[in-house]
Amino acid sequence: MASSHSDSARMEQIITEFFAKSLHIILESRTPCISSRNFSGEQTVSSPSSSSSSSSSVRPRDKWFNLALRECPEALENLDLWHQSNLEPMVVDVVLVKRAINWEPANFYPKTELFKNLSSKELHTNCWNSDQEELGNERSEKIIERWIVQYEVRKAKDAGKGSKRSSSSILSSIYKKSMLLLRSLYLTVRLLPAYKIFRDLNLTGQIRSFSLAHRVSSFVEPFTRREEAEMQQFGFAPVDTSSGRLCLSVLYRSSLSDVSSEPSTPMSPQLIPDYVGSPLADPLKRFPSLPVSHGSPSSLPFSRRHSWSFDQYRASPPSRTFSPSPTHSEPYASASNPSSCRFPPPGLPPHPSEVSHAHKDNASFDEYYPSPIFSPSLSPSPPIYVPGSNLSRALLRSESAPVNILATKFLNSPMLFKNQNFPPSPPLRGTRYGPSTADKSMCPSRDVATVDKMSFVGRDDIGRPSGLQLSSGSSAHISYSRSSCRSFHDDFDESEYTCPFDVNEDDVTDSGSRVDLFDKRGHAHDPLQSASFLPIRKSPGAAVGALVDMLKKAPPLHQDFSNMATASQASQASRSETWSNSFHEYCQTPKAISAQDGTSSVTSSALLASKTTADALEELKGYQEMKNLLLSQGGTGRSQSVPNYAAAAAAVVESAGRGTVKF
Amino acid sequence: MNCEVCHLKELEVEHYEIREVLRCILHTIIFHRALGLVRPKEIDLELFEITYVQCGDEEVEKKIDEKIDQFIGWAEKHPNKKSQICLSFFEVKNKQVSWFGKQMERLFWEHWYISLNVAQQPKVHSLKSHNNKVVDTGENILEERSIRRASLEASLRDVLFQIIRFVNDKKEHVPPIPNREGFISFPYEIAIPSSSDSAFGMDMFKRMLQTGHPTMLSSD
Repeated sequence: MASSHSDSARMEQIITEFFAKSLHIILESRTPCISSRNFSGEQTVSSPSSSSSSSSSVRPRDKWFNLALRECPEALENLDLWHQSNLEPMVVDVVLVKRAINWEPANFYPKTELFKNLSSKELHTNCWNSDQEELGNERSEKIIERWIVQYEVRKAKDAGKGSKRSSSSILSSIYKKSMLLLRSLYLTVRLLPAYKIFRDLNLTGQIRSFSLAHRVSSFVEPFTRREEAEMQQFGFAPVDTSSGRLCLSVLYRSSLSDVSSEPSTPMSPQLIPDYVGSPLADPLKRFPSLPVSHGSPSSLPFSRRHSWSFDQYRASPPSRTFSPSPTHSEPYASASNPSSCRFPPPGLPPHPSEVSHAHKDNASFDEYYPSPIFSPSLSPSPPIYVPGSNLSRALLRSESAPVNILATKFLNSPMLFKNQNFPPSPPLRGTRYGPSTADKSMCPSRDVATVDKMSFVGRDDIGRPSGLQLSSGSSAHISYSRSSCRSFHDDFDESEYTCPFDVNEDDVTDSGSRVDLFDKRGHAHDPLQSASFLPIRKSPGAAVGALVDMLKKAPPLHQDFSNMATASQASQASRSETWSNSFHEYCQTPKAISAQDGTSSVTSSALLASKTTADALEELKGYQEMKNLLLSQGGTGRSQSVPNYAAAAAAVVESAGRGTVKF
Repeated sequence: MNCEVCHLKELEVEHYEIREVLRCILHTIIFHRALGLVRPKEIDLELFEITYVQCGDEEVEKKIDEKIDQFIGWAEKHPNKKSQICLSFFEVKNKQVSWFGKQMERLFWEHWYISLNVAQQPKVHSLKSHNNKVVDTGENILEERSIRRASLEASLRDVLFQIIRFVNDKKEHVPPIPNREGFISFPYEIAIPSSSDSAFGMDMFKRMLQTGHPTMLSSD
């Protein structure tokens, strides 16, 4: 009996090792990062001595079934995790994880999110790159292979079947058969379609939109019928033992080409509909909506739209900036809020697509504003430099580029933003509504930052304190959301909600507090502005309007300008506010103001990275001259097409500045 | 000892494809019969999207390549013929004196027949060429070639699965693993038409005696 006992123990061991080896073989060729391929090269070099002839370098594990495999930490890990008795089946699911790379910048979420469903130990996705992370991802999982290794215990009566042969010979026979089975497995694993994916992942260092993961468990998660229909089965002949049999089978998808190439069904439906209907897609739509938002009451619906559209919008935040319709000076603020909310999205990791959007929309600059605004809040003087530097850089690069830079910065340093925002009023919501102080502080910086003429107009809109805060808040939220790692939809929603929309909607719409807040704001501004600005608006407004018209004609900025034109007036008002608050000194002297404008224009022109006030003044003078020239020409002058968009912007700025001067 | 025979599905190959196809098949079979401690080596075919596995033994690889070279030489001399390669595994019995005067007798326990239909050149489809210009014909040839290649790849894959199935279904006849150092694979031989007539013919003859059915090899 002793021998039989030892035999059964050995049998147990064979079975145990069979499980381990099977898992090793499967995962070795399904876990990309382990890269058997890369290994193979190494193998030839390092392992020749160990090659079959010499067993010197062979590890004990390799001797089992006379099959030396590469190191596969995943297999060992999973085996430990699985760690079931031999009576439990071992189910190895190979999962194709597909990430859709969206052109939309909106979809950024941490890769970790992608795998939220899978536990970290379960996941072995190796191929994520930072670049990929930046791209929006939508993940879908598909089980493409299910390996089942099982030891079926035979009924007792059948157990003695092989008794005729000596137990040792039975054991060796079983061992031999299991070796054959494992060799078959080794080959089969490489013949199934999934191996091609594995190989692609390993061989090409390219970034892929898909990866492989696996799950090892002891229970079978049933497939749906449809899934089952898509699977084929390959059953290896079981190895009979004295007390049962070793079974190995695989369900696999026979065609994976569609899987790898076509976007997973789950993601597409969600994104696409929104995307199509999103304001971004249709600029006209969103613009109309914005004006409505201006009205405090109307703001509610507006915010709503944003909220749902917001996700989509991230890609094209700039347009939003313009969205504020200049018509209502006060409305801007409200409008700005929504816009600001949008801004945060730009702050998100720059997307190529985003860039393009930004580029298209003049508003892109406006988007930046939010960030600059924040910096000012921290310290009055610094604001300029922070935003300015960013802007200048961006400008230098390209219109679109700046956005990205800013965004990235913000993303990188969410805390800073928060801090900046918070200093005025820690709670975002509170700040928003409570606006005046925080907003005002922000505004100045904003102006500086805005640098752009274009932004100028938009700036005011943006400048609305509440908006800025919101944006800042949103940006912060976004960063957080990332960390939280939701699906990117979630992120957006979250950001949105966290953003003014959510809060605003609920608070404002429901309570109508919003209006009050706005009013408060307006009041705050009014005192400051009212004296100087109101008049300014009107008189300069006409001139500005003319200029705006001209600007409208400029092809590239066309749409934006129209918006800007309206916005410009508002912007002036807002500007005045900001000045009054933080840049009190400047306000007092029109020159100073003009200087600011000049700086802004300079930066906008993107000619200079960083300008001092003196430089700005000089520039401003030049612009003023140009402006005067234009004005002297009279109405015709206005009608003249301004070849340079920058010039036009400068003119606008100047006109604005002029108005202030007059007063 | 019973001897199992596996006739693999015939493959239509062009001359330049012979080497890869034969390597893939022969190594795959031998990998299943290399029950010594092996460190598998996976090889990607260049012509096909198929990965096969070698047992990693240089001797095996060398022997296979030699045989393939011989076969290719033979195929060049005998164009457009169907041909078979036979991979046989045997045990060596020293004690018995063979009828042919050799001290060592080979007891074959498994034969694998690999059937190749070697097309020397891509077929020109006369029907299409009639109506189309030269360029079109060229395109057609290319297209047909790619189609043919794809079908060959699928067939080759089928053959590999056929091998796997056979290995799985037939295990009892595999001799016990010799317990000696350095054992890698059961002894085997590869018989090709180009082999000396005596050796190949003898193998065929013996096989006929054993299995009782006519050889598929055609000498014409």
